Amino acid sequence: MSTALQVSNLVKRFGGLVATNNLSFSLKEGESLGLIGPNGAGKTTVFSQIMGELRQNSGTIELFGDEISTLSTPQRIRAGVSRTYQIPRPFGEMSVAENIRVGLMPDNIWQMIVSPPDTRRERELALSVGFLKADLGRMPTELAMGDLRKLEMARTMATAPKVMLLDEVFAGLTTGEIAQISDLIQSMRKDGMTFLIVSHDLPALEPLIDRAIAIERGTMIAEGTFSEVMNDKAVQASYLGGV
Amino acid sequence: MGLRWFHFALWGGLIVGMLLLPQVVSNGTLRTMIFANYLAIFAISWDVLSGRTGYVSFGHPFLIGIGAYTTAILTKRFDVPVEISIPVAVLFTMIAGLLVLLPALRIRGSYFALVTLAFMELLYQLVQVIRPDLTGGTRGMSGIQTLTRGAANGYYLSTTLMLTIAVSMWLLMKTRLGTALSAIGMNEESVRGSGLSTTRLKAFAFLTSAMIAGLGGAFYVHYLGSLAPRALFDINFLFTIIVAALLGGTSTIIGPMIGAFFMTFLLEYLRPVLPGAERYFVYGAIALLLYMYQPKGLVELVRRGFKSLNKGRTA
Ligand SMILES: Nc1ncnc2c1ncn2[C@@H]1O[C@H](COP(=O)(O)OP(=O)(O)OP(=O)(O)O)[C@@H](O)[C@H]1O
Ligand SMILES: [Mg+2]
Repeated sequence: MSTALQVSNLVKRFGGLVATNNLSFSLKEGESLGLIGPNGAGKTTVFSQIMGELRQNSGTIELFGDEISTLSTPQRIRAGVSRTYQIPRPFGEMSVAENIRVGLMPDNIWQMIVSPPDTRRERELALSVGFLKADLGRMPTELAMGDLRKLEMARTMATAPKVMLLDEVFAGLTTGEIAQISDLIQSMRKDGMTFLIVSHDLPALEPLIDRAIAIERGTMIAEGTFSEVMNDKAVQASYLGGV
Repeated sequence: MGLRWFHFALWGGLIVGMLLLPQVVSNGTLRTMIFANYLAIFAISWDVLSGRTGYVSFGHPFLIGIGAYTTAILTKRFDVPVEISIPVAVLFTMIAGLLVLLPALRIRGSYFALVTLAFMELLYQLVQVIRPDLTGGTRGMSGIQTLTRGAANGYYLSTTLMLTIAVSMWLLMKTRLGTALSAIGMNEESVRGSGLSTTRLKAFAFLTSAMIAGLGGAFYVHYLGSLAPRALFDINFLFTIIVAALLGGTSTIIGPMIGAFFMTFLLEYLRPVLPGAERYFVYGAIALLLYMYQPKGLVELVRRGFKSLNKGRTA
């Protein structure tokens, strides 16, 4: 299988702080990789660089063999990579359906004007992440954290990515909701979706990934299967130190 | 969100009502209505950009001024017919707006407002120094060709123009484009994170806004027959536009229209009582009060009124 995402020698500094320290990893098409590390390890910062919301100081990011570092965020999304945000950022005065609608729009003003919204697809996406039909018209202010995460997930799926970056999709969710989102991720994996998943909920993460990497202070400290990484001395030390 | 039959019924009712108005009201009222129509056009223009995307423009008098000056100079100094000068004025407004204000769209918040404000002042200074033989300098211009004679005709023309703009903008904003522009106002980063190029969307909103401002400015100057730079590039004029949009309710098209009519008639009725600039304090206070108690504007009050009427009928 070919490589979907290849990150090489990535470095990101915030002043004196090295948030990403010469990080390299790759994701094969259809593979699911877990990215773990204590608070402040630099996981979200890696996502932001892949999406072009932050520019790396050095290193390269290739998506299906093409360097994407010079592309804007919307261009990267069109190239096939999309992310969820750890802190959900819904459009506050728009319903669930309209939030998803924005994700479904083509980046083409003429098309936006002449072709109507695909309300069937909006509903499909909303239901697939666990919303009920009655939720479609609800506003973000009426939603609990769990619902906001589901909305975040649906809006990301709406951009039709080939590679999805999930940042703490389970935080604030009930056990039932976690199971629902897990099922969704599993079925997308079966359909060939490539995932990079950040989660502090390790038991929920384990069944969703083929491999894991652990980072601490921007540096990779372990790589391998989930149990290999969890049994790594450096990882255990960093998690104990972090708690 | 979608188009409903009663939307069209309401627009239809409004159009018929407005076109029948000259049969029942005095010429004096009609003249006030003409000003209200132009203010509505300017407020809609402001709303399409600022009400939607949250990029607050203080530069709309600048855009209106380019439209007004272009057609005034072309017709008066070069005898260009209005059929040509008005489209050229609109085009100029869009180009000038694009050249000077588009770079400003890359900066956010109060800086955007400040930069646009600076352009308004800059144009005021420029018309005085650059070719005053063309612009009329500080004194402005008079004897500009008018398109209509009499209050009723002026009213019909301005009403047709205003309603055409309002209905087409309303239809445009009902599409996904309107949703995307509103989304920018709520969270621009998330719009980019949804794969949409916000710079392009903002540029489109800006060009549309400039087009309406240019159109309104050009027709307005051919109604007035004169042009006074101090009245045009004036902070009170600017605030009248913005308050009309905010008061009526942004992002709605009908809101800025209601706001414009409310403001125009309020100012008109206050004129005998408060002849000076004190009037502006009064509407400032009203705007503030409304903003505190109903930030969605007059249009929301009207909507609630309709709702309770409906309830009363079905109950
Ligand atoms: N824009 C920024 N400017 C300066 N420092 C930043 C910025 N963003 C992140 N950092 C710092 O970079 C480090 C990594 O942050 P990041 O958010 O990537 O960590 P994380 O692994 O996602 O943590 P968490 O598990 O808490 O989400 C932290 O020390 C953080 O304070
Ligand atoms: Mg994080």
